[in-house]
Amino acid sequence: MELIIATLTNLLILSSMYILVALGFAFLFSMLGILNLAHGVIYMLGGYIGLTLITALGLNQWLALLLTTLIVATFGIFLEKYCFRPFVGDFNRIVMICVVITVVLQTGVNIIAGTQILSLPPFAEGIFKIGPASVSYERIVTFAIGAVLLLAVTWFVNRTKWGQQMQAISQDLEGAYLQGINVHRISALATFIGCGLAAIAGCLMGAYLCLGPFMGDFMLVKVLMLTIIAGVGSIGGIFIAGLILGSLDSVLPLLVSGAASNATAIAILVVLLLIRPQGFFGHEVEL
Amino acid sequence: MNRRLSTRGRRELTKPAVYAGLVVIVALLPLFFGSPYIQHMLILTFIYIIAAVSFRTIVISGQFPLAHAAFMGIGAYLAAMASKWLGLSPWITIPLSALVTAGIGMLIGYPFSRLRALYYAMGSLFFGIGVIQIIYAGGSWTGGYSGLTGIPALLPGTISKIPYYYFFLGLALVSIIALYRIEFSRIGTNLKAIAQSHVVASSVGINESGYRILAVGVGCFFVGLAGAGYTHYNMVLSCSSFNFMATLWLVMYVLIGGINSFAGPIIGTIILIIIPEFFRDLKMFSPFVTAAILGIVVYLMPQGLVSLPQMVRSRLTERRNTKKVSHAS
Repeated sequence: MELIIATLTNLLILSSMYILVALGFAFLFSMLGILNLAHGVIYMLGGYIGLTLITALGLNQWLALLLTTLIVATFGIFLEKYCFRPFVGDFNRIVMICVVITVVLQTGVNIIAGTQILSLPPFAEGIFKIGPASVSYERIVTFAIGAVLLLAVTWFVNRTKWGQQMQAISQDLEGAYLQGINVHRISALATFIGCGLAAIAGCLMGAYLCLGPFMGDFMLVKVLMLTIIAGVGSIGGIFIAGLILGSLDSVLPLLVSGAASNATAIAILVVLLLIRPQGFFGHEVEL
Repeated sequence: MNRRLSTRGRRELTKPAVYAGLVVIVALLPLFFGSPYIQHMLILTFIYIIAAVSFRTIVISGQFPLAHAAFMGIGAYLAAMASKWLGLSPWITIPLSALVTAGIGMLIGYPFSRLRALYYAMGSLFFGIGVIQIIYAGGSWTGGYSGLTGIPALLPGTISKIPYYYFFLGLALVSIIALYRIEFSRIGTNLKAIAQSHVVASSVGINESGYRILAVGVGCFFVGLAGAGYTHYNMVLSCSSFNFMATLWLVMYVLIGGINSFAGPIIGTIILIIIPEFFRDLKMFSPFVTAAILGIVVYLMPQGLVSLPQMVRSRLTERRNTKKVSHAS
C-alpha cells in the first residue's frame, strides 16, 4: 500500500514535470521547427537562479519562484531574438547555437556554483495522512503547481487569441503570415512561456530531488523522447506521452533493477518510434 | 585551349603534392613537440578525425545519426572485452570489433531505414542512449558506472607515445583515403542522390534502403575502428566518453568545419581540439573559448570554416570592384 501510493505520487510528479518542460520545447518545435537542444540547460538555470535568490538574497520562496520564472522567461525572449530567429529553417546552425548556449550556461553555473549536488529548500513541510497512507505536503504542492500550470497553459492555447495564433502558426507558417499574424511576436511569446515553465519545473525538481549542473542533459533527453513520441502540434499528445514516460520511469525500477530499467524504457520507446515514426498524435514535419 | 589544358595539368600535379607535403609535415611533428601531452592531444585528434569523417559518410546519405559516439563506444567496449576476457591480441580485436560494429550498425540500420530526416536523428539518439544504459547495466563485464580498466595495450613495452602517434596517423590516413574513395565513387553519388530526393533516387533504380544501410555500415566500421584503437591506446574506458554529449561534440566537429565538404570534418576536429589547448591556463573558463569559436562560425560562416578562404576572396574582390567604381566616378 505504502509502495503503491509512493509510486503513484512519484509517477504524477515526474509526468507533470516532464510535461511542463516539454510544452515549451514543443511550442518552438511545432511553430518554427526549432530543435531547441538548449531547453535542458534553461531548466537547469531555473533551478540555480531560484537557489541563488533564496539562499543568497534571502527572499521568500514563493516570491523567488515568481522572480525566477520572470528572469528566465525574459532570457528566453533574448534567446529567441538573437539566437533562434536568425537561423530558422537551418537545422545545422540551430544545433550549433544550442550547443553554444549549453556550453556557456553550464560552464557559467559550474564556475559560480561548483559541481557539487545542491538542493532547494522544500516548498512545504509536514506529512499529510489519510488512514494508513501518508504523503508529504512537498509532493502534493509540487504536483498541484504542475497541474494548475498545465491546465492554465491548455486554457491559454485553446481559448485565447494569442494561443489560437500559436496553433495557426504551427499548422501553416506562410498561411499565418498571410492572415496578418505577427509571427515574431507570437514566437517570442511562446519562448517566454516555454522558458518560464522550464524554470518553474527546474525550481520544483530542485526542491523535490536535487540540483546539479548536468541535470539539464537528463531532462533534455526526456523532453526529446516525449515530443517525438507525442508527435508535432498536439498538446493532448504531449500529456499522454508524458504520462507514459513518467510511468515508465517510476514503475520500471520496481520491476527491473538499476540501469537495466533505463535500458528497458528506451527499448520500449524505440519500438514505439519504429511503429509510428511521426508520433502517435499530431502531424508529420519536414525538416 | 592549350593554356587551359596546361594549367589543369599543373593543378592535377600540385594537389597531390600539397597533400603529400601536409602528411610529411604532420609526420614530422613529434620531432618538434617532444612533450607527451602534446603528442597525446595529436593522437586524440587523429582518432576523432576518423570518427568525424565517418560521421559525414552517413550524413551524405541524408541521415543524421545521433548515435555515432555510441557506435564508437560499441567498438571500444567490444575490443576491450574481447582482449580482456577472451585474451585475444589487440591486433585481432581492432579489426574484429570494427567489423562487428559495422554488423550491428547495419542490423540497426535495417529497421531505422524507414525513418527519415529528423525522425531518423531522434531514433538513433534514443538508440545511442540505450547502448550507454546497456553498458551501465553490464556489471563487471563492462565495468558499469566505474568504467573498465586493465585493458591490454596495443604496443606493450613502449612508454613513449611516438609509436602510437605513427600508428594512429597511419590509421587516420587509411580511413580518410578509403572514405574519400567511397564518397567519390558510384556508391557516394547514389548516396547523395538519395539525400537530395529519395523519391527521384528510387525512381531511377537506386535501392534506397540498401544504400542507406550500406552507408551506416561503412560509417560504423570506421568509427568502430577508431573506438577500438582508442581502447588499446587509452587502456581505460569510461561510458561518459560515448554518451549523448560526446555525439553532440562529434556533430560540432563536423558542422564547424563544414558539413558540405570532405575536408570539413578534418579541419573542424583539428580546430576544436587544438585551439582550446592553447587556452588551457584558463582552467574552468576554457569551455568559453570553444563556445566562442562555435559562435563565430555560427554567426559569420554559414558554410563552416571551409568557406573561409572563399569568403575572404569574394570580400577582397568586392572591395577592389567598389574601389574601381569610385575611381571611375
